[in-house]
Amino acid sequence: MAAPLVLVVLAAVTVRAALYRSSLAVFIAERVEVASPLNAWKRVVEGLALLDLGVSPYSGAIFHETPLIIYLFHFLIEYAELVFMITDVLTAVALYLAIQDFNKVVFKKQKLLIELDKYAPDVAELIQTPMEMHYIPLKVALFYLLNPYTVMSCVAKSTCAINNSVIAFFILATIKGSAFLSAVFLALATYQSLYPLTLFAPALLYLLQRQFIPVKLKSKSFWLYTMQYASLYLCSLVVIICLSFFLLNSWDFIPSVYGFILSVPDLTPNIGLFWYFFAEMFEHFSLFFVCVFQINVFFYTIPLAIKLKEHPMFFMFVQLAIISIFKSYPTVGDIALYMAFLPVWSHLYRFLRNIFILSCVLIFCSFLFPVLWHLWIYAGSANSNFYYAITLTFNIGQILLVSDYFYAFLRREYYLTHGLHLTRQDGTEAMLVLK
Amino acid sequence: VCTSRFWFNYRHVANTLSVYRSVKRLGIPDSHIVLMLADDMACNPRNPKPATVFSHKNMELNVYGDDVEVDYRSYEVTVENFLRVLTGRIPPSTPRSKRLLSDDRSNILIYMTGHGGNGFLKFQDSEEITNVELADAFEQMWQKRRYNELLFIIDTCQGASMYERFYSPNIMALASSQVGEDSLSHQPDLGIGVHLMDRYTFYVLEFLEEIHPASQTNMNDLFQVCPKSLCVSTPGHRTDLFQRDPQNVLITDFFGSVRKVEITTETLSLDRDVAAVESKFPDEELATEPLKYAEQLPVAQIIHQKPKQKDWHPPGGFILGLWALIIMVFFKTYGIKHMKHVF
Repeated sequence: MAAPLVLVVLAAVTVRAALYRSSLAVFIAERVEVASPLNAWKRVVEGLALLDLGVSPYSGAIFHETPLIIYLFHFLIEYAELVFMITDVLTAVALYLAIQDFNKVVFKKQKLLIELDKYAPDVAELIQTPMEMHYIPLKVALFYLLNPYTVMSCVAKSTCAINNSVIAFFILATIKGSAFLSAVFLALATYQSLYPLTLFAPALLYLLQRQFIPVKLKSKSFWLYTMQYASLYLCSLVVIICLSFFLLNSWDFIPSVYGFILSVPDLTPNIGLFWYFFAEMFEHFSLFFVCVFQINVFFYTIPLAIKLKEHPMFFMFVQLAIISIFKSYPTVGDIALYMAFLPVWSHLYRFLRNIFILSCVLIFCSFLFPVLWHLWIYAGSANSNFYYAITLTFNIGQILLVSDYFYAFLRREYYLTHGLHLTRQDGTEAMLVLK
Repeated sequence: VCTSRFWFNYRHVANTLSVYRSVKRLGIPDSHIVLMLADDMACNPRNPKPATVFSHKNMELNVYGDDVEVDYRSYEVTVENFLRVLTGRIPPSTPRSKRLLSDDRSNILIYMTGHGGNGFLKFQDSEEITNVELADAFEQMWQKRRYNELLFIIDTCQGASMYERFYSPNIMALASSQVGEDSLSHQPDLGIGVHLMDRYTFYVLEFLEEIHPASQTNMNDLFQVCPKSLCVSTPGHRTDLFQRDPQNVLITDFFGSVRKVEITTETLSLDRDVAAVESKFPDEELATEPLKYAEQLPVAQIIHQKPKQKDWHPPGGFILGLWALIIMVFFKTYGIKHMKHVF
C-alpha cells in the first residue's frame, strides 16, 4: 500500500506547488473563509516582525498564535511553503497509519462478536469484510490531501494545517494504544487551540476499551486508569505552558491566545456562527451569550460519551465535527480534517438518508461564499445578512451530515444485534427512527 | 447667503443679489465678497425673462448682470460649507474666491436670507443651521482673530432667534422679525409670477441706495429702517456685544470699502530703510555655509544597507528545555535500548 500512497502524496504536492506559483495564492490567502484571525499567515509574519523590532508580539491585538509557533517559524519562515506542504503530508500519513490500525481493531472486534454469537443470524451483508476495508486508509489519505478545502488552506498558509497535524498524530497515538504519547499530543493540540480538550473523552474511552477495562462508574480500575491518563494529560499541558513562558519571559500569551478564543472580540466574518450574533448584540448581553456559545461546544461531550461508549472512534469523529462547526473561529481547514474520516464509515452508505441534499448544500454554499462576499463588500448591493445566510446554511448542512452519519451508525448497530428485518409485535414491518 | 432653492423662493435670491449690488457699488470688490446662492433664478426654465433677476416690480431694477460672481452655487450651499467658510477650516484645494480671507482688522458683513424658524435657518430644504452653531462659529472666528467687528443681518421668519445666542465680542446683529413673527414678502410681479423681494430687505435697499462712500450715516439710522407700519413684522437688533456706540458706527464701515487716503507731496526715500534693516541682521547667527541637500540624507548608507539581521533569538533555556522534553518523550515511547543505536 505504500506505492499508491506515495503517488497520492506526489499528486497533492504538485497541486499545491502549482497553486503557490499561480496568482490565485494571493487571492486565496485573503479569503476570510480560509484565514481567520487565529491562524492567518499575515498575522504570523506581523508577529515575527514585531519580535524583530523588539516588541512583544502579543502587545497588540494582531497576533494570536502560541509561542511554540513563534519558535517554529522563527527559523523556518523562509521555507514557509515547504513547511505547510510537509505538514499536510505528515497529517495524511498519520491518518493513513491510524486508519490502517483501526481497521485491524474493528475487524478483530467483529470477529470476537461473531464468535460470541452477539449478532443476529441474517446480518451477513452488514458485516465488514477485509476486502472492502483494504482501500479505506488510502481513501482517507486521498480525501485529506486532495480535498479542495485542504488545498486552499495550505495555499493560504494558514496554521490550521499545523493544528490538524497535531490532532492527526494524537489520533495515531491513541489508536496505537500509547497513553503517554496520546496525552502529550492531546496537550499540544489543546495548547494550540482550546477545543481539542473535548477529545479527551473519546481518547480515554478508546484506551479503556483497548485495555479491556469496562466503563463502569463503580469499577476501581476504570478510575485508576482515568486518573493516570488525566494526570499525564494535565502534566504535559502544564509543562508546555510553562515552557512557553520561557520563550518571551511573560505570561502575555495566555490572554492573547486563550482569552481571545474564549471571549471572541474580533468579529471579522468567517464561516462560523459567532460573528453575526455578536455584531448585532447589545454590549450588556455579550458576556452571557459568549458563555452560552462556548458551553455549546463543550456540551455535547457527555451525552455522546454515554451513548457512544462502545464506539469511541465514531465518537471521536462526531466530536471533531462538532468542534469544527461550533468553534469560535472556524475555517475550512478544520472541516477538511473531519471530512477525511468519511471513508471509514462508507459501509453506512445504505443507511444515509440525506446525503444528496447535503452534498448539494455544501457544494453550493462553498461556491456562494465568495459570490456573496463580493456582493456585500465590493458591489455594495448586499449586506451581512446575505453572507450570514450562507454561513448558516453551510453549518446546517454540516450538522445534518453529522447527524445523518450518527443515525446511520446507530441504525446499523441496532440491525446487527436485532436482525435486518424488524417486525413489530403484531408481525408487520417496522422502521427505526431516531428520536 | 441665500439658502432657499426652487422657483417660488425667487425673492430670497433677489434679496441677496440686491445686497450684493449695494455692497459692490459702495466699493467692496468681488475678491472680498463670498456670495452663496442656492438656486439659479436667472437661468431657471420658469423665468419668463431669462438672465435677469428683478428686485422691483415692473422690472425696474435688474440685480443680475455680467459682473455677478457667485462663489458657492446650487448644492454647494450647505451648512457645512458655510461654517467652513466662516471658520476657515477649508481643504487646501479650495480656490481663493471661495475663502474668507479675513484677519483681525477686517470688518465683516454677513447677510443671510431664506426660510427660518425659532432658532434655526433652513438650508436647501434638507438641513438647518441652529443659532447655537452660528454662535459657536462666530466664537471660533473670534478666537482665531478672523474679524475685528462683525455685522450680522438676517431676513427670515422669526429671525431674531438667530442672534439670541451670540456670545462673542464685537458683534452687532439685525433681524427682520421677532420670535413668533413672520417676515413677509413685499410685492408680487404678475409678469414673473412670484414675489420679488422681502419687505425688510426692500426697505434696507431703499435706505442703502442713498448711501455713498462718503456718507456719515450711522447704525442708528439702519435700526429705524422698516418700522412696523411698513414691514408688518417688528425688526430687531442687538448691540450689547458691540464695543462702540452704534451712534458712532458708520454704515460704510460694513457696507462699503472706504479707505482713508491722505495725499502728500513729500517724497520718501526707501533705500535708507532697507540698508538699516539689513545691518540689523547679526552675522554670527547665520550658518557659515548653508547645508547642502545631499548631505542631509545619508544616501550612500541607505543604498548599501545590508538586510537587517534578525535581532531576536529564542532564549537558550527555552531551546534546551524543549529539546530535552522531545528527547524524553521519544525515549519513553521507544525505550532506552534505542539509545545505543543513536550514539
